[in-house]
Amino acid sequence: MQDRHLRPDEIELLLDGEEGFGVAPLRAHVRSCASCHAELEEARALLLALDTLPDFAPSVGFADRVMSQVQVFEPWHAAALTTARQFVPATRPARIAAGLAAAVGSGLLTAGATWAVARADIGFLLAQVGLDRVREQAGAAASDVATTVLGQPGLDAMLGGSAGMTAAAVGGFVAVVGMGVVGLRALATSSRRAR
Amino acid sequence: MPNPDELATLPDADVVRLAQQGRELAFRELVRRYERPVFSLVFRMVRDRELAEDLSQDAFVKVLNHIDRYSPEFKFSSWLFKIANNVAIDHLRRRRIDTISMHGSPHASTASEIEASALNLEDEQESALDELESKELGSAIERAIARLRPEYRACIMLRHVEGRSYEEIAATLDLPLGTVKTYIHRARHELRKALEPLRE
Repeated sequence: MQDRHLRPDEIELLLDGEEGFGVAPLRAHVRSCASCHAELEEARALLLALDTLPDFAPSVGFADRVMSQVQVFEPWHAAALTTARQFVPATRPARIAAGLAAAVGSGLLTAGATWAVARADIGFLLAQVGLDRVREQAGAAASDVATTVLGQPGLDAMLGGSAGMTAAAVGGFVAVVGMGVVGLRALATSSRRAR
Repeated sequence: MPNPDELATLPDADVVRLAQQGRELAFRELVRRYERPVFSLVFRMVRDRELAEDLSQDAFVKVLNHIDRYSPEFKFSSWLFKIANNVAIDHLRRRRIDTISMHGSPHASTASEIEASALNLEDEQESALDELESKELGSAIERAIARLRPEYRACIMLRHVEGRSYEEIAATLDLPLGTVKTYIHRARHELRKALEPLRE
């Protein structure tokens, strides 16, 4: 190692602070060779100069120009979380109160649901009675309308007669209503034309 | 959502996560953190302020518009530098000015043609460098860096200006670790040679 100066790659090994079997002779050589010592010091000075090179700043408004081309997209789960957070009270006591209220409310809901499930048969019975009432009311209302339009004898004849007769009665009713509607429209149109 | 002061104290990974949730302040914080390093890297690569701003802007826009694709196993800054470097290298490849100025025209068939084309472009480069010298890239070391091959320049910038490890540079530039070491060693050797006349 004493018969020649260090090669550039050997200088680089020393600059990188490499450790190992092959580096010890290089270090020993640098200690004894003024030329290689000077070269290593110059290389170290270059590294220092490189390490202290300044950063450059872009012009004012660079960030705004970048942001004008960036599409800020809020995913649905983040948006949902933001919305949910708006309902959380800001102060600690208010949060505790809201937590207690939520616990009581959910407890009541759970108890109500448990009771409803346990009393399912009563629920079915009440629903059945309610449905029967609705059906009876609807039947009575339909019967009143038919009596008003056809008269009691017409309704009796329709209920007591054959299916063909019922169809003829319904068809006649629809035809009369249709003609009434057409007549009223014609009347309204001629009235508008006259004006 | 943290305010801008709180954002400034968060690590990159947390700021990126907030950006992925669509927080505009987080995007701005990432730009604020890296606008200078990215601009410096690109400026030293292309040596034109206006162009460097445009290319840096492209790099940021690419990264921030695809922030959802960022994988947290890598450093955000490495990803950003990788895109910025690719943008700069792509631009230089399109212009091909550096390659031609160092080695002569690729279309030259004889030694004299190569020399002639290299000299002509070297003159142009010198005038550009003279102009830069009077502005921001004033020092001899900046001039020497400007003459390095773009690959060497990127490695040197990342190693010494940004303080990245060899492994990080290899990941950032998609190069084998040995290649990165070789590039940096050769670049430093070339810089020493270029600065030698100043010492004498």
